[in-house]
Amino acid sequence: MAAANQRTPGARWMPFLILLPFLFFLLLFWVIPLVGGVKMSLQANGLGQAEYVGFAHYKALANDERYATALRNSFVYTLASIVVIVPLALWLAHLLRATFRRLRPLLTFALLLPALTPPSVLAVLFLMVFHGKNGLLNQLFVMPLGIFSEQALGHGLGPVSWLKDPDFILSGLVLQTVWRWTGFMTFFILAGMEGIPRVYYEAARLATGSRWQHFWHVTLPQLRPVLLFVAVYLVVDGFSLFSGAFVLLGGSGGTADAGLLTVTYVFQKMRFFEYGTASAISVSLLPLMTLALWVALFLRRRTA
Amino acid sequence: MSEAGDNKRSVGRSILSLMLLGPFLMAVLYPFLWMMFGIFKTNREFYQPLKFWPMKAFDGEYWSSIASTFFPNEYSWQNISELLDGKWVPFWAVFGNSLMVSLGQAFGAVTLSAMAGYAFARFTFSGKRLLFVLAVALILVPRQLFAVPLFSWVNELGLSDSLLGVMLPGVVTGLGVIYFTQVFRQVPEEYLQAARVCGAAELRVFLTLLPLVWPALLSYGMIHFILAWHEHLIPMLVLTSEAKQTLPLALAKLYDVSQRTPQGVQMAASTFAVIPTAVLFAVCHRKFKSSLSDMLVH
Repeated sequence: MAAANQRTPGARWMPFLILLPFLFFLLLFWVIPLVGGVKMSLQANGLGQAEYVGFAHYKALANDERYATALRNSFVYTLASIVVIVPLALWLAHLLRATFRRLRPLLTFALLLPALTPPSVLAVLFLMVFHGKNGLLNQLFVMPLGIFSEQALGHGLGPVSWLKDPDFILSGLVLQTVWRWTGFMTFFILAGMEGIPRVYYEAARLATGSRWQHFWHVTLPQLRPVLLFVAVYLVVDGFSLFSGAFVLLGGSGGTADAGLLTVTYVFQKMRFFEYGTASAISVSLLPLMTLALWVALFLRRRTA
Repeated sequence: MSEAGDNKRSVGRSILSLMLLGPFLMAVLYPFLWMMFGIFKTNREFYQPLKFWPMKAFDGEYWSSIASTFFPNEYSWQNISELLDGKWVPFWAVFGNSLMVSLGQAFGAVTLSAMAGYAFARFTFSGKRLLFVLAVALILVPRQLFAVPLFSWVNELGLSDSLLGVMLPGVVTGLGVIYFTQVFRQVPEEYLQAARVCGAAELRVFLTLLPLVWPALLSYGMIHFILAWHEHLIPMLVLTSEAKQTLPLALAKLYDVSQRTPQGVQMAASTFAVIPTAVLFAVCHRKFKSSLSDMLVH
């Protein structure tokens, strides 16, 4: 690598030349809008307003209960989706490896289908799953539970109104994410598992131990980079994706704001041309995202 | 343990695993089947709920009534031809726009990220660390969060209501840069030395490496194509005229209740929206997975 630099005197600027196209577009479509966003967050609300108001929007956010709700919901939503998706995907990947080899590509592809589907289509399909009393979720899961509890405990469970009952809205959104991403993450984990050198397992087999121990001491540590990638992806997606919640709840936060996510809130502010506030919310998320990445990188370095 | 016994046990395990996978496959596939059969349904059939309860597992009539609500009464091509003839949205134009934007964006992203990744992996230069951190930060700040300033900037560049205005902002991607940095780090040093000894200029060395890493190029191109195909917010802000719309915008319009589009047409459009990404993935699946396997564990 160092050799390239010494080869000719002109080679010093070679890497920059190769980087140039990327840097150009980075500046044009990322740095400039980002700076624009920060600037906007310091300006008064409304279209074409150039009057600077300092940190007024940020101060207002600090006392904004809906902002706190949105942050809390996004946090719970993201955490819950990671907690559900990662173990589930690990298990599914394990099952895929254990089943017939011939079927594996087909099954993986089937599980991945939701990730290949545009989010707006997904949301419409998902509406059907949730929709009211006759939705599939109620028909197949809640109703049997209800019948069971009626016989066992003497009192039944009504069908859950997933998108209206404030106790269930967030779970509904989490379920949508789980449905969308689990197959995709399974695919990544499967690819990771197939990359683990066989020798490790042979060594583990010599040292005996159960399948579970092999999983715990060989597979899991080897999969760490994959799992970190999956977690970071879900964090970013959890804090940024809006189509799902947007189509399901029509851009509102749902009953009692139980499903209000940060991006939905940004969108609500944008709709009323409160661009200053909207940008302030976006900017306020940056330290959070950075923290998430830092934790991930830190964990990665520690394992390396 | 004998060979045969081992085999038998693994067949048992395979079957058990398949059975455990069953419910998940059902949960994933059912909505898609419902979507495809929905193409042929009238609105009245479409809103007919499936009545699972009370369950009568041994009653033929019960099953036939479920089947008759799940499957359409007759298969007619009317909804599909209405969609393709452009009765509701200019479907072919929209489809073409989406294809152009996504292909262009994927191509641009692969080119830029591969070059950047090569520079990061193969050179040491001042400011490298800072630039790399910037590329990582790119991942963390999704364009969607800064849609409004991006939109006004795209307008200032004179790209409003043009496909380029949707395509170009998407070509910078942090994920791609990190991916290709990793890819080029794994190319054995000998290849580079050999190329350099032959007196190739740095840019030529890069070009000679490309055939070597083509599965990675293909894989990332595919991922980026899928992401671009799904993009909703940026096109929504940038594209205003009907002829320039992309697929997610057209879908949103079809789904809009006030348009009174028949459900069958909506489902046909949804199905067509899934087909390109699904086919692309099915074709590239194997290459993608092996290139991931090579990389993820290192």
